[in-house]
Amino acid sequence: MVDMATRFFEDLDRRGFEPLLVKTSGTLRFDLHEGPHTTHWLLEIERGNLRVRQEDGEADTVVGTEPRLFAELVGGEENAIAALLRGDMTVVGDLRLVLQVERVFPGPPDSRGPRHTFGGRGA
Amino acid sequence: MPGQNTVRILDGNTFVVSEDSGDIEATPNEPTGLFSLDTRYLSKWVLTVNGERLNVLSYDDLQYYEARFFLVPGMATHYIDAKLSVIRERAVGGSFRETLTILNHDEKAVDLEVRMDAGSDFADLFQIKDEILNKKGELYAEAESDRLRLGYRRGNFRRETVVSANQPARYDQRGFAWSLRLEPNEQWDAVIDVQTFAIGPGGRDLRIGLRAHGVERLALQHDLEEWISRAPKLNSEHEDLAATYRRSLVDLAALRFSPLSLGGQTLPAAGLPWFMTMFGRDSILTCLQVLPFAPEMSKTTLRILAALQGTRFDDFRDEDPGRILHEMRYGETAAFEEQPHSPYYGSVDATPLFVVLLDEYERWTGDGALVKELELECRAALRWIDKYADLIGNGYIWYERRNTDTGLENQCWKDSWDSISYADGTLPPFPRATCEVQGYAYDAKMRAARLARVFWGDHTYADQLEREAAELKRRFNQDWWVADRGFYALALDPDGRQCDVLSSNIGHLLWSGIVDEERASSVAEHLVGPRLWSGWGVRTLAEGEVRYNPIGYHNGTIWPFDNSFVAWGLRRYGFNEEAATVANGILDAAAYFDGRLPEAFGGYQRELTKFPVEYPTACSPQAWSTGAPLLLIRTMLGLEPHEGHLAVDPRLPMGMGRIEVLDIPGRWGRVDAFARGRLDLDELAE
Repeated sequence: MVDMATRFFEDLDRRGFEPLLVKTSGTLRFDLHEGPHTTHWLLEIERGNLRVRQEDGEADTVVGTEPRLFAELVGGEENAIAALLRGDMTVVGDLRLVLQVERVFPGPPDSRGPRHTFGGRGA
Repeated sequence: MPGQNTVRILDGNTFVVSEDSGDIEATPNEPTGLFSLDTRYLSKWVLTVNGERLNVLSYDDLQYYEARFFLVPGMATHYIDAKLSVIRERAVGGSFRETLTILNHDEKAVDLEVRMDAGSDFADLFQIKDEILNKKGELYAEAESDRLRLGYRRGNFRRETVVSANQPARYDQRGFAWSLRLEPNEQWDAVIDVQTFAIGPGGRDLRIGLRAHGVERLALQHDLEEWISRAPKLNSEHEDLAATYRRSLVDLAALRFSPLSLGGQTLPAAGLPWFMTMFGRDSILTCLQVLPFAPEMSKTTLRILAALQGTRFDDFRDEDPGRILHEMRYGETAAFEEQPHSPYYGSVDATPLFVVLLDEYERWTGDGALVKELELECRAALRWIDKYADLIGNGYIWYERRNTDTGLENQCWKDSWDSISYADGTLPPFPRATCEVQGYAYDAKMRAARLARVFWGDHTYADQLEREAAELKRRFNQDWWVADRGFYALALDPDGRQCDVLSSNIGHLLWSGIVDEERASSVAEHLVGPRLWSGWGVRTLAEGEVRYNPIGYHNGTIWPFDNSFVAWGLRRYGFNEEAATVANGILDAAAYFDGRLPEAFGGYQRELTKFPVEYPTACSPQAWSTGAPLLLIRTMLGLEPHEGHLAVDPRLPMGMGRIEVLDIPGRWGRVDAFARGRLDLDELAE
């Protein structure tokens, strides 16, 4: 079975372009720590163009979390900014890159969005 | 709330509120202390000499970031004989630094035990504001040989205060002390440093590398001088006006705030003590107010708000794609999602106002590059207006919070729970739509049409926006006009029924341009008429309404920021005398507050109280109150960018005398504006 992180990064790599990141350029490395074992994902962004490699390379920003939290972040169950403030996610380097990439994460699965009351009522 | 005798110094979102002796003895629900990142880092800071508290002779808040206290031991009855002086000098700027000076005036040597009690409850600002007391984590205090470490830990969340001094002291868990012997006329000094940390698991601070300017006193002073020198000079025969202008500039400098995510650039935080953070609405409106004087603030505000624009549905944060944030917080309650401010998006005006600011900014500065840079965000904001904010499907912006636990009920600027009502005083159901927000949407579309045509090369979109705006204006004038009383309703309920109270919001409608020409004079008459006009300003809600209360937060008080936009609106429709009346009233009031207008003051009739009565828990300084005098000056002078030039068309009250504003920056370089007071407002009132 493929884990959430792998699915998330492979999906980014397949898409190759993310309009929300069209003004963003830089390299992020996600270090997913589980005990002594760390999985590295290197995400290169060049004005919205994406390239993902599973390797431990130089990056402008290094993000550290447990794999479980990361799975919840990319699944929308957890929020990256709150996790950062809580200290559950660490960032070394350019914080702005994280805040840009975080916007690509989905919202909570149970969020329904605005409740429109079209028809029936109205001015 | 802090009483009259509190001293506040601040730099960005680090600030200290203390007693006039410099001591801090916070109770759980009182906002005294050293604060940073929405967290209290010191709740106790009490100086004693030989076990005695000190008595204040005088204090000075020299600059917004520094204060000085002159103290003597003993109680008021016998301090006249004091043989000892104690001076505390303190400054904030990243960290908090206090310099203690003790002078022995006696003919003989004295032995002194000097002690500072120090402690922290690490309360989140929200816990203080809402009086929530039980902390879920663990407090600790560690005395080391050269420092005292106060801390709070909850899971990986860690905040620490580290106190150290340049004179070796004895540290214990409750403070630190020195034993001294001072010879006659001898002086002793110590510099105490208090550092605040927000520590992640790797031991690194969240804020590393994020300072907007140096944290040292000299750097702060230099920065302030440069800020003042960059701003236009105001010369006036009216001394109070010149003082108010200077006070506003300095307070604006103090309120500059560098969000974590901006890499050191600044935007205005909303206000002290509760709102030293980024607010969509407050930051945008403040930028609009100060554009002629400090245009660079708009650029950073637009950029940061764009960078944090909503991208998804998140019901806890009331986030939608394209929505501009309402409020960002950094404390424990945001971190653990006990409050939704990471960030919270529950405001419906910030999104259209974002577009309005971008256009206004370009008209002043000619910075078309920013308009191009923010095209996508602008389009997303406009899409939000049509697609996600129109909850009823009838072309208006509505609101109904999805976070029913900690979200905001009223998502307009009058955001208290009882601010929106029918004339009989009852509150309407949700969703609600308030009038001024429809005006902002109209203005946003009109302005975006210009941006689309001039900068984005999209004429089809421009035409579409103008059609939509015209249609919105037509329907708005039909649905919101209270025909028998000659004003616009404050709000509509979901069945289209009018909240038919007379409110200051109608002034914002003039500002946005959504008011039909033939109705404008009726609106203007109401604004300076006896029910809304107090003599000092326009009340939020008119006297005679069921919910009117001269000290009702949004139901009768006078908000200087509100009035500044009302005045701008009056001028837009050519009601120059009325605009000058509003400007004159608010600027008169400012003199009673030493040039620092509070968030709000009482709606009492001017003749009744003779002076403006400050609203009991008003925030001060507050960004959009600080910006109000600047917008009023712009309005009175009739400063308006026009085809690449700055048009000046002054309409000043006679009492203002001569005013000159020199070096107004803009696409024209720098130009001067001169004006002389000629309007007789007394004549107008008759």
